[in-house]
Amino acid sequence: MQDRYSAHRNIQTANFVCNAPLAKFVSLVGDFNRWDETAHPMKKTPSGSWILSIQLRHGHHRYAFMVDGTLTLDPMAMGITKDDRDRRVSLMALS
Amino acid sequence: MKRTQAAPRKGASRKPARILPRPQRGRIHPVVIYPFRQPEHNTDLEKLYELIGRLDEQKDVYARPLTVIDRKTHQANERRKAYQTFRRNRVERHSDVLDAWCVDTCQMWYTGLGTAFDRGGPDDVYWLIPGDFDYGTPVGQEVLSRLHDLPEICVELEQDLCIGEIVTDHNNSKQLIDTYGTFALLYNWFPKEAEDIRGYTERPRSEFFAVRHGFLREMLCRRWYPHEQTVVLLLEAVLRHKHISRFTVGAISDLPEGRDALASAWHQVERTERVLKSFWQERHENKPGWADRYRALEAQSEMVVRTALGILQNLLG
Repeated sequence: MQDRYSAHRNIQTANFVCNAPLAKFVSLVGDFNRWDETAHPMKKTPSGSWILSIQLRHGHHRYAFMVDGTLTLDPMAMGITKDDRDRRVSLMALS
Repeated sequence: MKRTQAAPRKGASRKPARILPRPQRGRIHPVVIYPFRQPEHNTDLEKLYELIGRLDEQKDVYARPLTVIDRKTHQANERRKAYQTFRRNRVERHSDVLDAWCVDTCQMWYTGLGTAFDRGGPDDVYWLIPGDFDYGTPVGQEVLSRLHDLPEICVELEQDLCIGEIVTDHNNSKQLIDTYGTFALLYNWFPKEAEDIRGYTERPRSEFFAVRHGFLREMLCRRWYPHEQTVVLLLEAVLRHKHISRFTVGAISDLPEGRDALASAWHQVERTERVLKSFWQERHENKPGWADRYRALEAQSEMVVRTALGILQNLLG
């Protein structure tokens, strides 16, 4: 879908933060990695937050955090929608 | 809490940040609902029509914008030079004007969306833009720069409906009406659907949205309720298992209408109840025993309204 527009070739850094101090493993999943929970593992900081910066194409992206195997919405997301499996997921705009 | 966000853009302007590149199919139809009361100053409308002008230049992406003006608004202002000049130099230059006698704002939506629909095609998306917000303020301009996301989300993510949610203080009257009135009534008449709707948005009466052609056709061809159209759109979307998104567009306020906050809130709660009653009845009137069920819900609804109005009176009165 994202290939429908040529401007989606434009790339921008997106920063993700997940506050889950007790979690053992957190990853970022979304349309951009086909919801593969091993594709984008997040890094734990001393404060207990998990962070990740990745390059994404301009446009709108559906994503979520996988916190110890549980799909978790981003409470600070710009929006909310559903994925192709009818799960509620977060929504972000990059422009 | 830290905020997940795109990396900050240096020198980000408040102009629409991104103009959607040429889509393979389908166009976006901006439909502006001109304020019923002409504001004393055109600052907010100037900013809005700067955006509309930019959209009008992107003819491969956007259809010619449409502005709906109630004839009563025109009649009340036709002798005012400022109105005439603004209408001629801004509104008519950047959009087609649809002059229509309208009972209320909902009829302006119906007329505008219906006319845009008649001009559109199966892959098009229709974008409602209310004119009576303070787009001239710094935060208003920020909101203007984000509104384009609503139709783009419909196009890119193939959504049937994208609701724009404005951010308000918990004590804002809109928020109070939705918390104690709209949702309380929704949970009474449509409990399951209310839960689904609240999963998307806290503002089910938002005037900012974009809707896909197929879903709009279904809505236009049904009975068009005279109040609280967004609530009806959301209910229909949930009941028909449509693809729904919510996107936060920022903090913005509607322009003062000279109405008392409590009186306005009171009307809005009562209107919501009326529309939910009608909608429920329409969906259930062919089922056995519907009248008894309706009476039971109506009794509960009356209590909900009484409670909501009591709370709103305490908070806004």
